[in-house]
Amino acid sequence: MFFVNKSIIKKMKDNQPVDEELPIEKPPFFKSWKGMYWLVLGNLAFMIVLFYIITKLYE
Amino acid sequence: MRPLDWIVLLGTIGFIVIYGIWKTRGSKDIEGYLKGDNSMKWWTIGLSIMATQASAITFLSTPGQAYEDGMRFIQFYFGLPIAMVIISVTIIPIFYRLKVYTAYEFLENRFDLKTRSLAAMLFLVQRGLAAGITIYAPAIILSTMLGWSLTITNLIIGVVVIIYTMSGGTKAVSVTQKQQMAVMMGGMIVAGFMVVSYLPDNVGFGDAVAVAGKLGKMNIVDFSWDWETSWDDRYNFWSGITGGLFLALSYFGTDQSQVARYLGGKSIGESRLGLLFNGLLKIPMQFLILFIGVMVFVFYQFNQPPVFFNEAAKNKVYATAHADELRTLETEYSSIFEQKQAAVHDLVAAIKTENEPAIAVAQTKVENYTTAGKEVREQVKTVIKTATPDAEVKDTDYVFISFVMKYLPTGLVGLLLAVIFSAAMSSTASELNALASTTVVDIYKRSVNSKGSPTHYLNASRLFTLGWGLLAILFATYASLLDNLIQAVNIIGSIFYGTILGIFLVAFYFKRIKGNAVFFAAILAELVVLYCFYFTDIAFLWFNVIGCVAVILFGFILQGLIGNKEIEKV
Repeated sequence: MFFVNKSIIKKMKDNQPVDEELPIEKPPFFKSWKGMYWLVLGNLAFMIVLFYIITKLYE
Repeated sequence: MRPLDWIVLLGTIGFIVIYGIWKTRGSKDIEGYLKGDNSMKWWTIGLSIMATQASAITFLSTPGQAYEDGMRFIQFYFGLPIAMVIISVTIIPIFYRLKVYTAYEFLENRFDLKTRSLAAMLFLVQRGLAAGITIYAPAIILSTMLGWSLTITNLIIGVVVIIYTMSGGTKAVSVTQKQQMAVMMGGMIVAGFMVVSYLPDNVGFGDAVAVAGKLGKMNIVDFSWDWETSWDDRYNFWSGITGGLFLALSYFGTDQSQVARYLGGKSIGESRLGLLFNGLLKIPMQFLILFIGVMVFVFYQFNQPPVFFNEAAKNKVYATAHADELRTLETEYSSIFEQKQAAVHDLVAAIKTENEPAIAVAQTKVENYTTAGKEVREQVKTVIKTATPDAEVKDTDYVFISFVMKYLPTGLVGLLLAVIFSAAMSSTASELNALASTTVVDIYKRSVNSKGSPTHYLNASRLFTLGWGLLAILFATYASLLDNLIQAVNIIGSIFYGTILGIFLVAFYFKRIKGNAVFFAAILAELVVLYCFYFTDIAFLWFNVIGCVAVILFGFILQGLIGNKEIEKV
C-alpha cells in the first residue's frame, strides 16, 4: 500500500534527515490501532442509524 | 450592549490573547515556530483541529441554515470520520517519517519542484481568500449589530490575531485554541438551554422537537437518490459520504492549516489520537449547533420573528420613499403570524394527544401560514433591494445573532459575542500560520533564498504572517456578503481541494504516474472543475470528487501518451 515509504524515503535521504524506523506507540484502551479505527467508524454508523430513526420518528 | 457584556467580551478575548502570548513567549527557531517543537499532546491537537475548522461562520451561519433548511446539513460531515481514519493510517506516518514542515514538501521528493510549487500555490490562493472571509464574517455581523465601521471591525479582529500568531507561531495558535474551544462550546450549550427555556410553559422539549419534525426541520438523513435531480442536491447522504469524504481528505490531509496542527504532535500516536478525537466529536458538535438553530425556529413559531433579520438593512429603507410600502408589509406579516398562532397551538395540542387526523389538519394550516409569511418576506426583500440596491437581501446569517441580541440576558450577549470572536480568531490564526509556513518553506526558502540562517527564516515567517494577515484584512474589507458565508468558504475550498487531493493520491498510490504527467493533469483537472463551477448546476461537494478523479485519469492518460522514459528524461 505504501510504496512511498520505501521509494520516497530513499529519495529524501539525500535532502534531509529521514526517520525510517519511527516507532508508533499503542493506543489507549485498545491492543492495536485497528480497535481505535473501528471505534470511530462504529460511532459514525451508530450516529447515522440514530439520525435515521429520529428522522423517521419525527417526519 | 451593556457594560457587563463588554466586560465579558473583552475579558474573555483579552485573557486568551495574553495567555497565548505569555505561554509561548521566546520562540527562537523555525522548528519551534512552525512545528511547536513537536510537544503537543492529543487533546491539544484534537481541540486545535476542531477549533481551526469551527470558524465564526460555523456559529453564525449554521443555526441560520438549520432555521431555513432543517438539520440535513449534518450529512455534509458523514465522510469526515472515515477521512480521519484514512489519514491516520496513511498520511501521518509518512509525514512524520519524512520530517516535513508542510504537506507540499513531500511532493517535490515524489514528483518534482513544479508540482510542489503548484500544490502550494493552489493552497495559498484558496486559503488566502478563505482567510479574508473568516475575518469578514464576524466583522460584518458585529458592524451591523453594533453600528461600528466595517473597516475598523476588520482591523480589530485581524490585528489581534496577527499579534499573537506572529509572536508564538504554531504553539500560540494551538494553546489559544484550547481556551477558544471551551468558550465556544460553553457559550453554545448555554444558548441552547436558554432558547429551550424561552418556549411557552405548555411546550416541553419533546413537543418542541415534534413541532420541528412536523414542520420539516428534523430532516437529518436522506438516503433517497434520483439520477435526475440528486446531483444538484447539496446535502443528502450520498453527497455527504462521498463528496464529504473527499473534501475532508483534502482539507485534513493536504491543507496546511490542518496539517500543521497534527505535525506539531509529540508523536505519531498523539497526532493520530488528535485526529480520531475529531472524528468522534465533530458530528455531535455540528448536530448541537444545527439543533440550536432548529430550536430557534421553534421559538419563532410562538414569538413573532422579524420580517427581515438584518434590522440595520431594513431600517435604512425607512429613510427612503419605500418606507410606507415596507410598513404595510410588516403589518401584513404580523397579521399572518397572529393567525398562525392558533394553528401552532392546535398542532401542539394534537401532538400531545397523538391525534393523527388533528395533527395533519393543524400541520397543513401552519404550513400554509408559513408559506404566506415567506411570500411577504420575499416582497420585503424586493422592497429593500429596490430602496437600497447595495443591500444584501439574504438574511440567514443574521437569524442566530439577531436572537442572541434581542432575547438573551445581559452578560450572555457578551459571552455569545466572545464565542463568535473566539471562533474567528482560532480559524484565522491557523490560516495565517499555515499561509506563512507554506510561503516560507515551499516558496521562499525553496525557490528564492535557500541560504538563510534559522533566525532569518524565523523572522521571514513572522513577516509573512504579518503580510498574509494584512492581505486577509484587505480582502475582508472589500468582500461583499456572499450567498451564504459557510457555503462560500466550502465552495472556494471545493474548487481547489479536489485537484490538490488528486495530486496527493497519485503521489501515495499510483507509482507509475510521474511529475510532468501529474503536473499537467492537475492543471487540466482544475480547468474541468472551473468549467463545472461556472457552466453547470452540479452541487459543489461533487467538485472534490471531480477534481480528484480528473487528476488521476488525466495523469494516467498523459503518462501513457508521453511514455515513462521520455518523462523521466524531461
